[in-house]
Amino acid sequence: MDALCVKNLQKSYGKKTVLKGIDLCVPKGNIFALLGVNGAGKTTTLECIEGLRKYDSGNIEINGRIGIQLQSASLPAYIKGMEAVRLFAKWNRVSVDTAMLTALGVSDLANKQYQGMSTGQKRRLHLALALIRNPDIVFLDEPTAGLDVEGRISLHKYIRTLKAEGKTILLASHDMAEVESLCDNIAILKDGQIVFAGTVEQLTKTVGKHYNICVKTEQGTETFEADDIGESLISILKGYQDKNVDILDIQVDRGSLEQHFVKITRGE
Amino acid sequence: MGGFLYGVALQWKLDLRSRTMLIACYAVPLLFFAVMGGIFTSVMPGSNETLIQSMSVFAVTMGALIGLPPSLAEIYRSDVKNAYQANGVPLSLGLVLTNISAFIHLLVMSFILYIAAPIAFDAKIPEYPGAYFAALIILIVVSLSIASVIGLAVKDTANTSMFSILLFLPSIMFSGIMFPKDMLPKVLLAVGKLFPATWGYELMTSDTFSLQMFWPMCGILLAAIVVCGVLLKRIQTR
Repeated sequence: MDALCVKNLQKSYGKKTVLKGIDLCVPKGNIFALLGVNGAGKTTTLECIEGLRKYDSGNIEINGRIGIQLQSASLPAYIKGMEAVRLFAKWNRVSVDTAMLTALGVSDLANKQYQGMSTGQKRRLHLALALIRNPDIVFLDEPTAGLDVEGRISLHKYIRTLKAEGKTILLASHDMAEVESLCDNIAILKDGQIVFAGTVEQLTKTVGKHYNICVKTEQGTETFEADDIGESLISILKGYQDKNVDILDIQVDRGSLEQHFVKITRGE
Repeated sequence: MGGFLYGVALQWKLDLRSRTMLIACYAVPLLFFAVMGGIFTSVMPGSNETLIQSMSVFAVTMGALIGLPPSLAEIYRSDVKNAYQANGVPLSLGLVLTNISAFIHLLVMSFILYIAAPIAFDAKIPEYPGAYFAALIILIVVSLSIASVIGLAVKDTANTSMFSILLFLPSIMFSGIMFPKDMLPKVLLAVGKLFPATWGYELMTSDTFSLQMFWPMCGILLAAIVVCGVLLKRIQTR
């Protein structure tokens, strides 16, 4: 069963059409990433699904409670971490999940004013607020933007914990390594349309070239793209042998999501 | 109800932590009281009869018009409103909480003046305290409603103070608390009637609770509530 389904979502700002009929379904328990270059319509799509922005036409079906961590959210400067948590918990008539606060490191921010928190601490607090209502579906817009390495690692760990608890996560991100390591499914937005939806492996097949082969010789370094690693390697090695060139080093790696993403968004 | 009461108490605490609110609601009115109270009573004989009222009008107008708009701008002209909307809190809650909190602060300050003025400057206590406090409460509510319009209407947070001062100065100058109204030209007298401070001062200094002065306050309040509703709707619709 799908946690949420969007059909033919359309949205314009004045004469500019930002979303030109978005169709996407997110299976329950999945981590789903919405990718796209700046201005592709990621945040607008998320905000329409979250109910924070009006849309012109289309249908959005959500099966479960939602929790939202926005890309741009703030709190009053003088509010303390725990005061914010209590305010939103009391307003939503739920008890505070202290285990969740501890896991996110928000307990340490209990008496710290919002204005004195670092970017990472603010992000963790906003994630905690998004999880206060124990949502089935969690929306994360650029969750690790501005975080240091340690912050990213601990947040990724927590996102995996949420998935293990059966929650569905829909995230928008520019960090391809993050998406590749976390997500089950992705959708790529380009000019307000979904140009790809599926797994990273399916994207690799769609784009074509699976492997990058980097050959270092005394004359320099050459890079080749290949679908079939065996055949291609033999052919490349034979080429160097025929030219009587000594190979110093060979590196083979799978094409990254970033490379595939760039190809798709550039229309290559 | 628990969430709402917690919100009121929290907003009251946040206001105490805010330098702007403390200065506007307590520091400046107390300083004005200490300095001008002495000047009024020594320069204008008989001014001690209306000193509590004039000082309270200043405190309420200052606290409301200068103190409240920045708090509202912080919520509605920043990403704080996004956090409210994203976490299931109605957008109007910020407006209600800040108004209730400011109302309590202004009432506390007015009560301080009510106690301190007779001791410090031999000010006369209003003959009918019930009518006085009723008038004071009306003045606070109406002044806060005007302040709410500024806080919600001004798009640029930096401009909030400028608009607040533009309303605050004529409110104080033409209300009759600084000098007798018969010294003012007719035009300025008419301008003064646009502000709640003028009507509030008249209501607080009259012996009886006059409906003639009460209705204009109701009119200003109603207009401000309608404008706030429209502005809030506009902010909510993205």
